[in-house]
Amino acid sequence: MGVKLASKLKRMLGLFAISAKMDLVWLLRDTKFAIAAIAADAISNLSVVSSVYLIALRFGGIGGLSVDEVLFMMAYSTITTGLFILFGSANNIHISRIIGRGQLEHLFMQPLSLKAQLLTCGFAPFTGSGNFIIGCILMVISINRLNIEFSFWWIASLIIYVLTTMVIIVARAYLVSSAAFYAPVAAEEITSTAIDGTWQLSTFPLSGMPSFIQLSLITILPEGFMAWFPSLCLLGKPPLNLSEYYPLAYALILSLLASYIFRKGLNYYVRKGSNRYVPYGFRR
Amino acid sequence: MLEKAQTDMYHTDFAVSLNNVTKTFTQWQRDNTGRGLIRNLIKPEKQTITALDDVSFNVRKGEIVAYAGPNGAGKSTTMKLIGGMLLPNSGDISVLSLSPQRQRRKLMQHLGILFGNRTELWWDHPIIQSFEWKKVVWGISDELYKENLAMVTELLDIGNLLKTFARELSLGQRMKADLAMMLLHSPQVIILDEPTLGLDVVAKRQMIDFLKRINRENGVTIIVTSHDMDDLEEMAERIFMISAGKLAFDGSFNDLRSITGNLTRVVVTMEKDFVPKVEGGSLLSSSNGVFEYDVDLHKIPVRELLSQLSTATGVQDVEIRKAPIEQVIAQLYKDWNSGKN
Repeated sequence: MGVKLASKLKRMLGLFAISAKMDLVWLLRDTKFAIAAIAADAISNLSVVSSVYLIALRFGGIGGLSVDEVLFMMAYSTITTGLFILFGSANNIHISRIIGRGQLEHLFMQPLSLKAQLLTCGFAPFTGSGNFIIGCILMVISINRLNIEFSFWWIASLIIYVLTTMVIIVARAYLVSSAAFYAPVAAEEITSTAIDGTWQLSTFPLSGMPSFIQLSLITILPEGFMAWFPSLCLLGKPPLNLSEYYPLAYALILSLLASYIFRKGLNYYVRKGSNRYVPYGFRR
Repeated sequence: MLEKAQTDMYHTDFAVSLNNVTKTFTQWQRDNTGRGLIRNLIKPEKQTITALDDVSFNVRKGEIVAYAGPNGAGKSTTMKLIGGMLLPNSGDISVLSLSPQRQRRKLMQHLGILFGNRTELWWDHPIIQSFEWKKVVWGISDELYKENLAMVTELLDIGNLLKTFARELSLGQRMKADLAMMLLHSPQVIILDEPTLGLDVVAKRQMIDFLKRINRENGVTIIVTSHDMDDLEEMAERIFMISAGKLAFDGSFNDLRSITGNLTRVVVTMEKDFVPKVEGGSLLSSSNGVFEYDVDLHKIPVRELLSQLSTATGVQDVEIRKAPIEQVIAQLYKDWNSGKN
């Protein structure tokens, strides 16, 4: 049992390592271009964060959140965006592109489970870590300014909440992407629409909004979990009198639903096949 | 566990077996009228297409088999079923005694698939980088990787391409690199869907020679589809033909010729101003005293044909050769379309 697990772990690390190596050699093939791309990514993300932060500075906070709390939320959002880019550089989170373009067949040819391929193939630590690093720096600054008591439990909570947000992002992407199994052309870019919408709202502190909007954004749509709800939980003031475990429950339910719907779509795909095949965007 | 798997895998002489496999697809239908648009909203019209209809065949280990059929006959569907990319509606498929649908991961360690219109290479990396990626993903040992890399580099003459980015390759070079990459894990069965698509004469020649060589020397089983029948005849001894989802023919290329009536080409070179008379033959072309006829040797025995030509005046030379396989197949497709056979 232990040997089997160790061998599986070694295999997964090997797959992450080869993805990292492909990323590194891609970065080094044209370093100037790659650095420009990384810088553009980081600047664009910092601009989104700065706009909200500057508004908070101007008005001494937003919706009941102080300037430093807003900064903390921005840091949280930048970390999750960073993780998304760090692990999702091969359309493995924008999965509707792979499905809609008929590229799943490339994955079927590999002697690996789909889960292992999708988990490891988008790992890009050299070209995709800019946002994550900036997010971590912002997090350290905001923690210092907020005088948060640093404990093992608090760090564990931070990691758990970040992972929960990532699960929600991925589950939502896979849930909406399932439409691409049935309508490959119409739904090819459906994840972009879903994820872009998520990013746009993720940096906005929802505390000042009417409660029915806040509730909608943590039930019907998951935008509130991108940064706002988990940040407030980490700051010790969960909103709307909800439990701090609520994001975890939401992530669990959403991921189970996404898994069920995605499997159903995948089953449809292997029964019906795809007449569409578009080569672009597959393996850079 | 591993030993058991290996025993299971080698207990039969068949590399690929299809037993009563049926595969159907549903196609949406709609006409272009306003009524059609409204009807589509209420009750969409669907048509069931039978891509494979109760198809059974076996391919022995070490065989090269050609798989041919007109457009839409079900060739690519068969390839995808064998490769575990599609599920059949009914029937069993076995590749090296493994089920492509239930044991896909294990099977992919022994199966190589190449679609002529797709590439497995990383677009923005040198070829050797894609090969190294494959080494890790397939878990190929250092020793086997080195051995296979040296083999494909030499046989496919791609030494000068290894450092080139995939995006810089011509189609022929890209196909060679894809073929080389497919072989790095020493697959026992390879499936090639239109591998000579778009290749020039030299590249095609190299690819065919290479495939025949790995089949001869390494015993690799090859199933190949192509619309280029001459290529198929050169590669394979056995041909499966599929038409409207049914296996319409399974045999040698010579047998295939005989079912269409033993079509033969007769080329007669005449002295100036003489015209040959080949009764029962149809004239295909004539130029500078060279006359080419289509003759069905089932209708006119070769003895009768030679006797006709030996008594004719002005005959300088006679050449009798098999009709190109393209012509045989075209005749067959025509017969199938018109409901014969």
